[in-house]
Amino acid sequence: MNDADTDADTTDRLLLQRMAAGDRTALSVLYRSYHGRLSRFLSRLTRRADIIEEVINDCLWITWQKAGSFHGDSRVSTWIMGIAYRCGLKALRQHGSEPVDEDSVPEDRMPSHDPDEDRELRDWLGKGLDRLTADQRVVVELVYGVGHSLDDVAVIMQCPVGTVKARLFHARVKLRNVLPGLAGVTSATKENAP
Amino acid sequence: MRMPTDTGRDCARAWEAMPWVLQDSAAQEQTEWLMSHLSECDGCRAEFEQQKRLRLAMSLPADVSIDPELGLRRLLARIDAPVMETAPSRGAGGSWLTRALVAAVLIQAVGLGTLGARFWAEGTPQPAYRTLSQEAAHVPAGAIHVVPDTGMKLADWNTLLRSMQLQVIGGPNDVGAYTVMPAGGAAASTQVVQRLRTAHGVRLAEPVNASP
Repeated sequence: MNDADTDADTTDRLLLQRMAAGDRTALSVLYRSYHGRLSRFLSRLTRRADIIEEVINDCLWITWQKAGSFHGDSRVSTWIMGIAYRCGLKALRQHGSEPVDEDSVPEDRMPSHDPDEDRELRDWLGKGLDRLTADQRVVVELVYGVGHSLDDVAVIMQCPVGTVKARLFHARVKLRNVLPGLAGVTSATKENAP
Repeated sequence: MRMPTDTGRDCARAWEAMPWVLQDSAAQEQTEWLMSHLSECDGCRAEFEQQKRLRLAMSLPADVSIDPELGLRRLLARIDAPVMETAPSRGAGGSWLTRALVAAVLIQAVGLGTLGARFWAEGTPQPAYRTLSQEAAHVPAGAIHVVPDTGMKLADWNTLLRSMQLQVIGGPNDVGAYTVMPAGGAAASTQVVQRLRTAHGVRLAEPVNASP
């Protein structure tokens, strides 16, 4: 954990303490602070904006209710991402693979327009993530997107570190084989992937 | 499993180290070692470039736009809502309903049990009706059904019974028949039945257990 992570965790702990005392301003600060990363994290599980919003609110509702029982065994962000992961899985079980009903999605929730460069990068990433399992996408998001350690991911997903390692390994191999390579990566090299 | 470039243990070590070096969470020595290896290994260098691009792509904001202020307002409204309405998630409604149904069934079971115990304690009352398939009330063997004339006086009826040492044990029923037995409970003889049939004011006398 670097200094920035330590500072962020200290701030989060203070917010939790205030939330445990019923401080809604603290909840609002925490909500805004986590909304972006939770949205992106959950978008690796489902593309439905309505489900993502529902899961974010379920997650922070639980965080609000259990703020006083947080023992500090892990970083606050690890704790919250773990709650979000479980809420996300529960929502997926409830909604299954229901297609997005475009008519039910308000206009302000439609995907925003990216600059060309970002869109190209998203398309590139999308081709790879589509080939991964949900658990593999989650591990890749937590490691590359959020920046969690293997131990953190194991806590979030409530599984052994070895399982996380295996998921990450297989996800990387798939991505390496699927994603269009950059300069210097030949197809012959790709064939040598594990 | 073969490692990325098949060039040996160093490439496997480099493969392992890449995510953590990219995260800036690797030890300084590990980072320096990886940089050194990359300068010598084209395959790992290409892989590392792809990993960097992956990390960059993963760090882009979610492409599903959700208004945090709207979500926050909804969350605060949920917190302010009455307790029954604030059960978390849509799915919890199902378990709440299940619990309510189970509670209702338990209450019904307890109620039925209480009623049953009460009836048991009070004894089962005789029903106020009888179906044709049910046995008639028990009549002792040797009894006689007697139908007196409608014009027979009560004093004459009593006199007749006393003279024949009979007593009424049932009736009159719907057709005006009485059930009589010899005093002392002995079975009535054929002679008694015959005497009743010939007695003045008796319309019908039939032994109860006689075959039709």
